[in-house]
Amino acid sequence: MAQYGVVVVVAVTLNFLLPRLMPGNPLALIAGVDVGMLTPDQRAEIVARVGLDAPLWQQYLRYWGDIFTGDFGFSFRSSRPIVDMIWERLPWTLLITGLSLLVSAVVGVLLGAISAWRRGTKGDLGMLSGMISIESLPSFWLGMVLVSLFAVQWGLLPSFGAVTPASDLEGWAHVWDIISHAILPVTALSIVGTPGVYMTMRYSMLETLGEDYIRTARAKGAGERRVLFGHVARNTIAPVITVLAIRLGFAFGGTVIIETVFSYPGLGRLVFEAVAGRDYPVMQAAFLVFTAAILVANLAADLLYPLIDPRSRTS
Amino acid sequence: MTATGGEDRAIRRAVRRRSRLPTILGVAGLVIVGALVVTAVFAPWLAPYDPTERIARPFLFPSAEHPLGTNDVGHDLLSEIIFGSRVSLMVGLVAATVALLIGTTVGVIAGYYPKRLGSTLMRGVDVILILPFLPLLIVLAAYLGRSLLNTILVIGLLIWAEPARIIRSQVLSLRSREYVLAARSMGAPDRWTILRHIVPRTALLATGSFVRAVSGAILLEAALSFLGLGDPIQKSWGSTLYWAQTRGAFLTPAWKWWVLPPGLLIMLASLGFALIAFSLEERINPRL
Repeated sequence: MAQYGVVVVVAVTLNFLLPRLMPGNPLALIAGVDVGMLTPDQRAEIVARVGLDAPLWQQYLRYWGDIFTGDFGFSFRSSRPIVDMIWERLPWTLLITGLSLLVSAVVGVLLGAISAWRRGTKGDLGMLSGMISIESLPSFWLGMVLVSLFAVQWGLLPSFGAVTPASDLEGWAHVWDIISHAILPVTALSIVGTPGVYMTMRYSMLETLGEDYIRTARAKGAGERRVLFGHVARNTIAPVITVLAIRLGFAFGGTVIIETVFSYPGLGRLVFEAVAGRDYPVMQAAFLVFTAAILVANLAADLLYPLIDPRSRTS
Repeated sequence: MTATGGEDRAIRRAVRRRSRLPTILGVAGLVIVGALVVTAVFAPWLAPYDPTERIARPFLFPSAEHPLGTNDVGHDLLSEIIFGSRVSLMVGLVAATVALLIGTTVGVIAGYYPKRLGSTLMRGVDVILILPFLPLLIVLAAYLGRSLLNTILVIGLLIWAEPARIIRSQVLSLRSREYVLAARSMGAPDRWTILRHIVPRTALLATGSFVRAVSGAILLEAALSFLGLGDPIQKSWGSTLYWAQTRGAFLTPAWKWWVLPPGLLIMLASLGFALIAFSLEERINPRL
């Protein structure tokens, strides 16, 4: 628990210090103005408005206050409140990360279990080598190739965005519109996400297979099916679910690249737009949201674990 | 009786296959990496043109003179990709070296002094491992500005935590071995014990972590360049794809010669090192 607190402090402090430590004038990074164009008076006025004239520790305290009241300031580019921008983008990112994690969890756990069960066969080693190869796949390139093939070459699916612009679709047509836009990004994220789940499942299951109670179960004449589902699966699934929960947190950050390729209007795309437009406050707010996502996911894993695996409960 | 005999044979075959796999994959990795190193070293002789010079009309289709066509400003794409191997390998190797130096130092100190110093250091490592990796990489790269050195630094500074953890656990177990205890009980100074007895025995593990880090750093460099955060002067595979994306090449037939080759090479480079790392890790700690 204490560790989560440390992470929050580190993330917020990093956010506070980065624009103030970087080379160049912090005014340009914090207030978003072109310093060279200002008269000394205008400059002093802006410095006072954004509070850069206060001692560093006062600025730091005010920064914490702003975060606790949910005030992330305004975007340099659009002058809109950043909180609104984030709420707008969040559902799209949740949609594609949630779906893709589901797909890679099911595929990864199944293939990992088959692989471990058939350890050393051609199928197992082939699958393992395949997964090692997928881990080296650049996700953005995979996305581009999917667009080239499915959207351009074969014209099956839309190539960008989350909905068809200005289409006023309603009912099922609208739902299908959203699904068809999500298919390619979800496919790319699922493919890239599967090897991690597969490896965890395979190693975790091999470990369980080597345990004494599995040998006992076999010795007392339990059938293969009973050993697999009654003993192995039950003892393997707990650590795998923990890993999955933690991956969900990190999956958020991974969308920066995929959403850029597909121009998908989620949080990741927001980060890319902010980076491209030097919109530093938006970049920083998104970074805090990503940190929060990971912490929530880790917390969920901590709370979930004793429910799945009674052995870890402390009396 | 015959049934069990068959089963025994099947198991023996599986074990043999399992023990051969790391060698096969390791050799494949060495071949890939070797080919890339040769390409990078001899790039000026292998590339038909200077990749920074406009030698033809832009957006040319593949032809005998330009096997992969030309890009949006009339650079020869094949030459660009051949030179791209240099950036990829250099960033991968140097960033991994930075990560290994920090990781080994932290890992050895944290493992050798496990009490207060070590646990504080590892607390820090845990914090780094929990921060949102990719967004942090992008934010740092955006603040620092676009140059090859910054790319290397940002990647190196963010990927040392995993090697540190691996090396620490090794040092923790080495610390209580007899020869270390003997050296210490005879009054050897910590520095001498660490350099003479501890560090050499982490070498194999450190090599594994290093190669794994190179594989990761190559992918990260490509991602940063693809997002437009790489060195604007250097031609890397990621930046070739950045321009393909910006100029919409993946929406035209040009994707076959402009998008496919650099991506395949990124994958191949990262895979080459990953295979070597896998084969080393299996040798140290067989989990296959």
